[in-house]
Amino acid sequence: MAIKRPQPELLHHIPLRFVRNRVAGHGRKAVDHQIPLIPFIDFLIVLVIFLLMSFSASGELIAQQPTITMPAASNTEQIEISPVVAVDERVITLDGSRVADTQTLGATAQVDRIEPLIQGLEAEKRKWETIHPSEPFAGQVIVQADRNIDFRVVKKVMFSAAAAGYGNVSFAVNQREK
Amino acid sequence: MASIETGGSGSGKKAVNQEIPLIPFIDLLLCCVMFLLATAVWNQLAAMNANQQVPGQASTEDAPPEDEKVKLILQVRNSGYVLGSSAGESIDIKKRVVADQREFDVDELEAKLAQWKQAWDKREDLIVAPEDGVRYEDVIVAMDVASAAGFKALSMADGAAFL
Repeated sequence: MAIKRPQPELLHHIPLRFVRNRVAGHGRKAVDHQIPLIPFIDFLIVLVIFLLMSFSASGELIAQQPTITMPAASNTEQIEISPVVAVDERVITLDGSRVADTQTLGATAQVDRIEPLIQGLEAEKRKWETIHPSEPFAGQVIVQADRNIDFRVVKKVMFSAAAAGYGNVSFAVNQREK
Repeated sequence: MASIETGGSGSGKKAVNQEIPLIPFIDLLLCCVMFLLATAVWNQLAAMNANQQVPGQASTEDAPPEDEKVKLILQVRNSGYVLGSSAGESIDIKKRVVADQREFDVDELEAKLAQWKQAWDKREDLIVAPEDGVRYEDVIVAMDVASAAGFKALSMADGAAFL
């Protein structure tokens, strides 16, 4: 099977010599242009492969917040859907709603209960149990804290989470290559 | 459009010339690119899991074997790491001075945890007990090192309880 070399096709069906001469060039710049489809397809395939490599079937469960710089770790596990408690240098939020001030919590050594956080987590727990009546409650909460936060604040968040029935804590980190 | 031609006109037989439909193929690739761009996850976020040592919480499992009753504890203190166990062992890893700054000696912790893992080869549980005032990042680094050493079942406890 022979493969025919691609040739200019534009305006070749018009039975006029001067048109064919003009199309073919003949000393001047040819007006017949070929769109380079094969390099374009190569480029698209490379792009698709690159994007497939950064594809995640589970999607983005938590968003990187501009006020939080998370620590990096290499021995990690995948994040699962859970309530997210974000701790930055100013406020503590539960799924985006403010529940406490970081400075206030960091000032005292005693382990305080963060009541708005406990109430919010208990509401989340009731919602989960309503949606999944036959499944055991995992009690998992994601803590997304800034790397420079005093651990005393994180400890109070964990204590409040445990008081609400969330005994398993997932610390959100940036994945580092091993 | 790209095509494959044999040169013959067919002459009664089935034509073997083929047209390769490049335009639909490009359309398909463009759709793939748009879908993948919309669903791409650029931040590689992950999690480090830990249970909490809640005081008074009853164990739901059967009583552990005798050697598992010994608790292995990694304290993260402001002065450095302390590896200890409820059997009375204690290994102090002080902070080292690097460029006039006192930093946690992560390399030493790695080495000591590797030795510990050899001594307690069946154990995967470790209690991480950070003290007040320690940076959150230093606790995550300690947990990461412990996990790399083979202690996958990490628990968190209040460091003040072990002082």
